[in-house]
Amino acid sequence: MTGTTIVKTVFFAAPPETVWAFLTQKSKLEKWFHPASSDLVQGEDYALLDRDNGEKLCWGTVLEMDPVSRLVWSFTVKPLNGAMTKVIWELEETAGGTRLSLSHEGVEVAAGEAALSLLTALDRGWDEHFGKLRETIKALIPA
Amino acid sequence: MNLGSQQTFRALADPTRRQILMFLKKDSMTLGEIAGHFDMTRAAVKKHLVMLEEGLLITSRAEGRERIHELQPAGLKSAIEWLGYFDQFWDERLASFKTAIESETGEQE
Repeated sequence: MTGTTIVKTVFFAAPPETVWAFLTQKSKLEKWFHPASSDLVQGEDYALLDRDNGEKLCWGTVLEMDPVSRLVWSFTVKPLNGAMTKVIWELEETAGGTRLSLSHEGVEVAAGEAALSLLTALDRGWDEHFGKLRETIKALIPA
Repeated sequence: MNLGSQQTFRALADPTRRQILMFLKKDSMTLGEIAGHFDMTRAAVKKHLVMLEEGLLITSRAEGRERIHELQPAGLKSAIEWLGYFDQFWDERLASFKTAIESETGEQE
């Protein structure tokens, strides 16, 4: 089943090694994303934590790590109720810097699964439930 | 509320139909495969599938002499909102990524 993929491309005036460090090192991830539980390691779980209370905001497993060109995470956030998506980072050296591409796959499917598991947990109040789900999504993660 | 979501709620408001959705979550299936999981006639299962399709929760397509039924998660209205959410989420994250890298490489110069 194919979902809708979110694709973003950014250019950095820095070598791929630097961009890679910001994607994989605990101390660097903290500077632009959220504090990480540890440096990212292939095949291991990772988590990005709330700066204030240490709760997990985003988490998953490092599925592929091909320094300094490709990094794949399984990725979820709390309101997705355990449904996983996939985030693919690709780095390409270009004149004077690095082009970083992000593909976020499976959001549609995960959203459906999350809604489904919420709905199957309850046998009534569908309207109210959809409403709550919308609120939860909107109030999600502090920037 | 529009008719579309009323039909979605009606489709969801039945344990058998929710069970069918859980099966289709794993894989798309033919009527025969779905019916094999339930102690009811194919005709009865077919009625449930029609309601799920009217509720925009599944789609079906012909494949040879069979019809393949497939989950359509977008029918659960939140999917579109999630796509919008993550679209904005990554814009914000990548903007701070850029700022973080620029401040670092600035320091090195």
